[in-house]
Amino acid sequence: MGRRRRRVDPADAAGALPAAITALSRALPGGPSAETFRRAKFDRPEAAPALWRLLFHVLSPRPADDAAALPTPGSAPPTHARPSALSPASSKAQARLVKSALRSQGYPRRALVQLPEDGSQGSRELLLALSWLLARGPLLERLLAQIRVRLGDEMPVCECEVLASPGPPAPRVEADGCVDIRHLQWLMGKLRFGWRNLITSQQEHCALLGKVHSYTRGCHSDRSLGHLSVTEAELLRDPEGGRQLLRRLESENARLEAALEWRRRELVFWQWMDTVLDACPPEASQPTFLPRIPERGAGELELVARELQALQEELQAVVETRRAAWEARVGGWGPGWKATQRASEEAVRQELTALQRAWERGGGLAQPHGPHRLVRSEAGTLGGPGLRATEVIKALRSREACLEAALRQLQGQCRQELARLVGALPGFIWILPPGC
Amino acid sequence: MLPAGCSRRLLAELRDALDACAERQRQLERSLRVSRRLLRVWEPAETPALEPTPGPDTNEEARPPARTPSPQDLKELELLTQALEKAVRVRKGLSKAGGRDEAPSRKSRSIVSPATTASVPPRASGQAGRRASETKPPRGVRQTTVPAKGLPELRLLSVGDQTCKARGAQAAKPEPGLRDQQMAPSAAPQAPEAFTLKQKGLWAQLSSTETGDSMDATTTAKTQFLRKMQSGWPSSRLCAAEVEAEVGRLRKACSLLRQRMGEELTADPVDWMQEYHCLLTLEGLQAIAGQCLHRLQELRAAVMEHQLAPWPEGRLPSAPSSCGGGADSIWSPQLLLYSSTQELQTLASLRLRVAMLDEQIHLEKVLMAELLPLVSTQEPLGPPWLALCRAVHSLLCEGGEHFLTILRDEPAD
Repeated sequence: MGRRRRRVDPADAAGALPAAITALSRALPGGPSAETFRRAKFDRPEAAPALWRLLFHVLSPRPADDAAALPTPGSAPPTHARPSALSPASSKAQARLVKSALRSQGYPRRALVQLPEDGSQGSRELLLALSWLLARGPLLERLLAQIRVRLGDEMPVCECEVLASPGPPAPRVEADGCVDIRHLQWLMGKLRFGWRNLITSQQEHCALLGKVHSYTRGCHSDRSLGHLSVTEAELLRDPEGGRQLLRRLESENARLEAALEWRRRELVFWQWMDTVLDACPPEASQPTFLPRIPERGAGELELVARELQALQEELQAVVETRRAAWEARVGGWGPGWKATQRASEEAVRQELTALQRAWERGGGLAQPHGPHRLVRSEAGTLGGPGLRATEVIKALRSREACLEAALRQLQGQCRQELARLVGALPGFIWILPPGC
Repeated sequence: MLPAGCSRRLLAELRDALDACAERQRQLERSLRVSRRLLRVWEPAETPALEPTPGPDTNEEARPPARTPSPQDLKELELLTQALEKAVRVRKGLSKAGGRDEAPSRKSRSIVSPATTASVPPRASGQAGRRASETKPPRGVRQTTVPAKGLPELRLLSVGDQTCKARGAQAAKPEPGLRDQQMAPSAAPQAPEAFTLKQKGLWAQLSSTETGDSMDATTTAKTQFLRKMQSGWPSSRLCAAEVEAEVGRLRKACSLLRQRMGEELTADPVDWMQEYHCLLTLEGLQAIAGQCLHRLQELRAAVMEHQLAPWPEGRLPSAPSSCGGGADSIWSPQLLLYSSTQELQTLASLRLRVAMLDEQIHLEKVLMAELLPLVSTQEPLGPPWLALCRAVHSLLCEGGEHFLTILRDEPAD
């Protein structure tokens, strides 16, 4: 690896910027060409569609899971049918999603909101938006991690990424009409059935995985793994699939190399972006938002507020009685016990700080996260690194118990509330289902 | 009938949940298809007629052990697969460097029983070719591909021998085709490993560049750029995504606090020290709950004031994949070791159960918020109201699984 330059040499400046932009365009998935970037600085309209597409891909909750969805620059377009120009309806939807996502992340420029949604203009603004996203966080790494080729059979051990939203958000035709509660009951039943199906399918899948793993024991050249995964076994079975996998690995490696190249050269890119920003006309000072009634977000907030309120009231009640009882007992005690009192206070303070860390920003990483590669090993043989299934099971069981208790408590609360609401009415007998 | 706003909100929630479930099912089906296809090749439940040389008794004893291979069979299988691996390697070495390694071939010969040095290449090539051209005759493949059943190795290999000889003539003809099919399976296991090794190096480099010292200039340039972007905007310091993230954290806080409170309340203090400890803990929890509530009220005010519109479509983790699995797992996948299929199944079903409970609790809260007010505000005691009560009770208190009965208590006259 060459030495990293601290300063951009003037002699090299002419070549550094194009190299940086090329690296960036190669590292981004389906990235626009370097020419697009240059045109975007001058706000040329022909650069706009590619940038809209890229931002849509980056910002949509669940980009297409096959890496072949977007053509890599310089390669032939994928064989499955992909319209070269998006139909007006979907490009409008894309534009709207991009704007809304950027706004919700706090994009500070008003010019974005004013861009027309037909996808024909705004390349400079979009370039600024892309750079803004790149500057704020590890965007590139996140994108690369998403298209990562995984050779093993993976299973996530946490539920953090519970499906954001399935696929690109389909335009939901909201029923403006009223529904009968029986429709809701039907939907709930459908959901329960869906989960049951899911569990059975999952059991079958695990049984199959277990078989594959045990049959292929001793086949893997990496002794710490010991057996093949389904992907790897497929590789052996189907050479065509193997070649495809190799191609994917090759393209991923190319992208990684481009990303490294970008990291080496990005300073000159940021200096260039300063000039792009200066080339924009100055913004009017007070941006005004079209007010939108926050539906979902406020709903969530209200729910949590109500829960916290209830929790605080419960705690207050308990604490008051206990403190009163305590004071009554301890009232006559001498000063000698002050020291132990302080020690207790300190211990409790530490415990509660540790508890708080579990939900604070950045906390909670002590628990295992993310997908793990499944490795079958007879108990005790592999003493190497890796999470043991027994530990995960234990943690999951305790979480399950906790959640079950929470659900039961909520249901009990409902029962009480309903009893209160209807119990006042004479003339009816309410027969609860057996088992209550 | 439920009022329009309520209907819309509840429908949206339930549809979200159904979509998420369907998506999981789709992904699972995809994986199942691949695994089933793979195992079908190794364990065809049907096609007894296509068996070449071995008698029908091989079939019968072959199939039951397939379900539960005994340890001895597994050991034999391990030896067999090692031999095959070696054979492939040898063949690759031979085809590249023109047949030098005699030692490895001798060793593999001892296991690959009746063999002569001269016939090692064609045999191995035949085997590899067979492994490659799996789509055509499943019988040949089944007997030589790696995870054979608990067949005793000698019989297997003699069978392989015979079929190899039978196909020797075949193999001679489509030579070029067979050759590049030969390369694929040998190349296939080696090459991805080569690629993944290279990848590990690249990922490691990528994560280390983030903390280089030449990054300081870059970081300053980036912050300067961000500042310039921000200027001219009275930044509210809060965007909708951040609000959502904080609300999520506070929700987690609430559940953890409640869990801790439950633990403290059920604990049985032995002496006054523990009692005092318990009391202090509860007071501390109360204080924290108060702080969280205060923060939530601040957030609520910010949302109201700035009309921050949240993510409009569906529930979205606003910090995109904040669970990246930690920095390490970005480039080297962490392992999860399990020891039996039973264990794996338990693990997977527990995971799903936890996810399901999470969703159920969320739906319960949403339903409570929407439906309980309806019951209390709709006063007319006609049958529709009774039906509503019954339905609400079932949804909220029984998870939709049981129903209560309402009897009208008429005075007998």
